[in-house]
Amino acid sequence: MARTLRSRRRQFTNIAALGASTLATVFGLFWLVWILLTTVINGYQALNLKLITQMTPPPGSDGGLLNAIAGSGIMIAVAVLLGAPIGIMAGTHLAEFGKKNALAELIRFVNDILLSAPSIVIGLFVYELVVRQSGHFSGWAGAVSLGFILLPVVVRTTDETMRLVPTQLREAALALGAPKWKMTLSVLYPAARTGILTGLLLGVARISGETAPLLFTALNNQYWSADLAEPMANIPVVIFQFALAPYDAWHALAWAGALLMTMFVLIVSVGARFLLRERNG
Amino acid sequence: MMLGIATETATAATLTDAVPARISMRDLEFFYGANRALKGINLDLPERQITGMIGPSGCGKSTLLRVLNRMYDLYPGQRATGQVWMDGVNILDDGIELNYLRSRVGMVFQKPTPFAMSIYNNIAFGVRLHESLGKAAMDERVEWSLTRAALWDEAKDRLNSSALGLSGGQQQRLCIARTIAVRPEVILFDEPTSALDPISTLKIEELLDELKKDFTIAIVTHNMQQAARCADQVAFFYLGELVEVGAAAQIFTAPTQKRTQEYITGRFG
Repeated sequence: MARTLRSRRRQFTNIAALGASTLATVFGLFWLVWILLTTVINGYQALNLKLITQMTPPPGSDGGLLNAIAGSGIMIAVAVLLGAPIGIMAGTHLAEFGKKNALAELIRFVNDILLSAPSIVIGLFVYELVVRQSGHFSGWAGAVSLGFILLPVVVRTTDETMRLVPTQLREAALALGAPKWKMTLSVLYPAARTGILTGLLLGVARISGETAPLLFTALNNQYWSADLAEPMANIPVVIFQFALAPYDAWHALAWAGALLMTMFVLIVSVGARFLLRERNG
Repeated sequence: MMLGIATETATAATLTDAVPARISMRDLEFFYGANRALKGINLDLPERQITGMIGPSGCGKSTLLRVLNRMYDLYPGQRATGQVWMDGVNILDDGIELNYLRSRVGMVFQKPTPFAMSIYNNIAFGVRLHESLGKAAMDERVEWSLTRAALWDEAKDRLNSSALGLSGGQQQRLCIARTIAVRPEVILFDEPTSALDPISTLKIEELLDELKKDFTIAIVTHNMQQAARCADQVAFFYLGELVEVGAAAQIFTAPTQKRTQEYITGRFG
């Protein structure tokens, strides 16, 4: 009797917990699907060849997003070139060489603050650091501010991934007579590459949607500009401006930009996972 | 104290008198911080023989292995005193070049530790640290070490695929191949089969027998049958002391120490 009672209670708890977690999942997915669907439906209508062949139009006429796509691409690439090496090296230092010292703990703490710093603050910081010094908005300033947002993500994920590599693997490499730097480069990086790359891609996904730091730094450019020393067009700021404007053609382009960005992030993450699985399998 | 005296007499009567020692430990003590984990160890590893180290968990046998290639140096707070002689050098000395020492004294761990690279590069990695071989010579070395580790037939067609795709037993043999590829003089095995199935275990035991033609071997094991099957010399540790050391047959049939007898008959451990 007691046994059936207990088993019935277990069954009930099981159903309740399963039900609650399913509901929570559905709740979360509902908004995500809604956002995605809205983006796809509205953005799809504006998808055409002009999007990638023409510049952003003046009010009242047709155009595309070519300059914004190129500008975003260039600034993201430069941000990765700036942020990724420093981030990976700093993360490696924390995980491998600074396990128990006070400096490493301080760096971790500061890095976590940087990680959660509002992006508009970073934008203002780079505005002071680069824009005010050089006297004008520029692609460099935009890339630097994106780099500052990418950096702590890469530091954190590298640090965490490297610390997940089993101690035995380190000992195995050292037991062959490998110096520590060689072990780190040749044994730990390959073992941790999935995690490090995932962190990097998370960072890229994050900065490709950032608007606030670019408003203060790269600003925007109505024309074609591949010169990092000049103000540079970019998708987030174009979306911001076009969505607020009263022109239908601009609204359509803003939706298209949003769709492009969403697809970019999706393809990057899915593609990376696919590639990594191929190589590790 | 009784045990200390007994150890002296037990050591005197080993077979090491007949075979030259590759490594000789004298008054070896080891500390984890203030905790003394090895107490006055005097032990010889006879050349090209297998020394099995047995004893209950925490008795210091794995610690002893980690002294022989100075693996403990990685961890602040761990230190060894006394002498460990190899080729006329005390390897505990401060001036020892650790990477060179580790190329002379290789180690195989409890769990297989393949690197996330191809089978070929797993082997070439260690070799490249100490020698610069041409392509042909490296190919030859890879084949030689895989053959010696009884893995060549299974691996020859997939040298360039990831080592992570091998089975557990194959991975462990790869780790052995990787170790012997550097051509050390001594190989330390830290419970090399405790994570493997019986068939893989058998293969590795057969391998040990083959390897002792070229290498001096020390193996830590929890499995007394394994020690009896593989080892020429067996050392029994208890609470950081070397209680008894002797020929395997003698230790398992006529131990001179009461504690050894109690341990091998399964009364504790």
